[in-house]
Amino acid sequence: MYDIVEIVLNGWLGLNAPEWLLILLRHVLVAGVLFGVVTLQFFFLTIYERRAIARMQDRVGPNRAGPEGVFQTVADGIKMFTKEDIIPDAADRWVHLLAPCVVVVPTMLMFAVIPWGPGMVPVDMDVGLLFFFAVSSIAAVGLMMAGWASNNKFSLLGAMRAVAQMVSYEIPAVLSLLAIVMVVSTATGSGLSIVSIINHQAGLIISSQEVSSVPDLGLGWFVFTPVGFLAFICFFIASLAEAERPPFDIPEAESELVAGYMTEYSGMKFGLFYLAQFTLSFLLCAMTSIVFFGGWQGPGVSWLYNQGVTPLNPDGNAWMNVAAGVLGAFYFLLKTYIFFFVMVWLRGAFPRLRVDQLMSFGWKFLIPLTLVNVLSAAIWVMLTRWGAAQGAGFVEALGPANDSFARWGLAFVLTLAINAGAYYLLVRANAAPGMDEYVRVDDELEAVKA
Amino acid sequence: MTIVIQIIFALIAMLILGSALMMVLAKNVIHSALWLIASFFGVGALYLLLQAEFLAVVQVLVYVGAISILILFAIMLTRAADLAGETGRQWNNRWWLSLAVAGLLFGALIVPTVIGETWNVAPTEVAGAAAGQATGIAGAAELGRGFVYEYLLQFQVIGVLLLVALIGAIVIAYDETARRRRVLTLAEELELKKRQEAREAKEAKQSRKGKGEKPLPAPVPTDTLSKGNEGNEGNEGLVVR
Repeated sequence: MYDIVEIVLNGWLGLNAPEWLLILLRHVLVAGVLFGVVTLQFFFLTIYERRAIARMQDRVGPNRAGPEGVFQTVADGIKMFTKEDIIPDAADRWVHLLAPCVVVVPTMLMFAVIPWGPGMVPVDMDVGLLFFFAVSSIAAVGLMMAGWASNNKFSLLGAMRAVAQMVSYEIPAVLSLLAIVMVVSTATGSGLSIVSIINHQAGLIISSQEVSSVPDLGLGWFVFTPVGFLAFICFFIASLAEAERPPFDIPEAESELVAGYMTEYSGMKFGLFYLAQFTLSFLLCAMTSIVFFGGWQGPGVSWLYNQGVTPLNPDGNAWMNVAAGVLGAFYFLLKTYIFFFVMVWLRGAFPRLRVDQLMSFGWKFLIPLTLVNVLSAAIWVMLTRWGAAQGAGFVEALGPANDSFARWGLAFVLTLAINAGAYYLLVRANAAPGMDEYVRVDDELEAVKA
Repeated sequence: MTIVIQIIFALIAMLILGSALMMVLAKNVIHSALWLIASFFGVGALYLLLQAEFLAVVQVLVYVGAISILILFAIMLTRAADLAGETGRQWNNRWWLSLAVAGLLFGALIVPTVIGETWNVAPTEVAGAAAGQATGIAGAAELGRGFVYEYLLQFQVIGVLLLVALIGAIVIAYDETARRRRVLTLAEELELKKRQEAREAKEAKQSRKGKGEKPLPAPVPTDTLSKGNEGNEGNEGLVVR
C-alpha cells in the first residue's frame, strides 16, 4: 500500500519527488483514511449503543432520522456544532480550551498501531503494545486539565475519580497483557509488537507456534489457554474501567456529579469528549479481540494471504491480498463489535459501583489475580518451549519443545490448576469480611432474642 | 534527509526549551505542571528521532502518564483552596543562586560528554546501522539483555523494590478492610437499628428489675469510622456507626 504513492508520483507523473516527501505523503494518506474510519466508527457505534440499550430497556431508541435512525448521530453533530460554546467566567480559558484536544488526540494516535488485516497495519512498531498504553495514559492529563480548568467542584471531583480510576486500572490491564507478551516474545523475540501477537495465534485451539503440527485455521487464540482466558477476563474488566463504561462510570455518575469533568463543557467541546470516549471503547474492544481472540485471524485468512503478494512471495496474486484484507477486517470488526455489544449489555445489566468498591476490586482482586497469571505464563513458557539448553531438561522427557501435545497438555492442566486455585483463594479472601459481618449481625440478633 | 531531520530536531528542541522556560516563568502552579508535561513530551519525541522507540514510549508512559499525573494530583490535593487565585511568581530574590547551581550541574554533565565523545562519525559507519544489520542500542531486546547480564543485581534489586511496593499496597488495602465494617444497605441499617432499640428497651427493663444494678453498655460496634480511605475519596460517609 505504501508503494502506491511512489508509483503515482514518480512513475506516472514523473515528479521525481524526494524520499522524505514520499514518506510524509504516505503517512498523511494513511492517517487521513484512518481519521475517516474513526469518524464512521463513531457514527456507527453511537447509534448501535443507543439502539441496543433501548431494546434492553424496553424502549425504541432513536429511530426517526433516516432509516432506523442511522443519521441520528449526524443530527446530533449538527446540534453540537450550532450550540453556543460556553466558557465559564471563572474558568482558565486556555486550559479549558486545550483539555478536549488533549483527550481526543491520544485516542486518534492509538489507531496508528491497530492492525486491520494481514499486512494492513499503519505502523508496525516493535513496541506497539506499549505505545498503545503509553498514549492512552496521556488522556488522563487531559481529564485532569478539564476538571481543573472548569473551576467547578463537580468537575474537579469527576476528574479526580477518573484519573484515579484510569491509573489504578492500568496496572491490571498491563499485567494481564504482560502474561501474553511473555508467551509471545519467547516465540518470536518481539512480544511487544502487536503484529507478532496476532501471528502467534494461528492454529486450531492450540497455537501452531506452540505445537507446530497443528493445522493453521487461524483459531489458535489465547483465550483457549488458561493463561489467556484469565488475562482476557481481567483485561476486559480493566478496559471497562479505563473507558469509564458502566458499571465503572463513576467519574461521570449523573446522580452524584452532574457529568463529572464534562460538566462545564458545551457544544462541540462536549462532543469531543464524547467522541474520545466512544473511540476509546472501540479501541479497547479492538485490543481485546486482537490480543486474546486473534484479531484478523480466522479460517481462511492466512491461506488467502499466502497466495498474495508478500515479502516472501513477491509475485503472488494481488487480488488475494485484497480478499485476505477484506476477510481479515471482517473477522476483526466482527469480534470487536461483539465485545462492544458486551459492553452495552453490561451497561444494561449492572448498577454503578461505588468508588471504594471499584478501588478494592481493582487492587485486591484484579491485581493479585494478574500477578498470579504472570507466574502461570512463566510456567507455560517453560513447559511448552524450554529444553535442556535453558536448564529444564526434565520436560524434554515428554517430547520436543514446540511440538508436543503432551507438554502442551501438561502446561494446560498445571496453569489451569494454578489460576483456578488463585481465583478461588482470592474470592474467599475478598468475601470473608462481608460474610463475617453477616454472621456478627445475626449473632447480635440472637443475643437480643435470648 | 539530514536537513529534514535537523529541522525536526530544531523544532523539538525549541518545544522542549520553550516549555521548560515557560514552566519556570508561569505564574500558576498548575500551568507550570502542564508546561512540564509538554517538555517531557518533547523529550519523548527526541528519543523517537534517535530511533529509540522503546525509550520514547517508556518516556511517555512513565513521565507523561504517571509522574506528571502524580504531580498534578499532589498540587490539586494540597493547595486546592488558593489555586484559583495563585499569582505568585515561581522565583524569589535568590534566583541567581539556583541558576548557578543548575548551570554547574548541567556543565558537569555536558562538558565530559562534549570532550570525550567522538563527533562527526563518518557516514559509512552509520549507514550500516541504518540498513538494519548493526544491532540497535536502545531497543526493548537490547535493554532487556543488559538488564539480565550486565546489570543483573541492580535490576533485581529495583524489581524486588517495585514488587514489594505493589504487594505492600495490596496488603495495606486488605488490612484496612479487616478493621472496617462492611457498608450496610438501608434495609440492613434499619433492621440493625430496630434490633438495638429492642435490646436497649429490654436491658432498661432488666436493670429496673435488677435493683439498680447497672448492665454493661450495649456492644456498639466501635471501629466503624471511615479509617480506610484506600487513597481515594470514597463514600465512606455511608458507613453506619
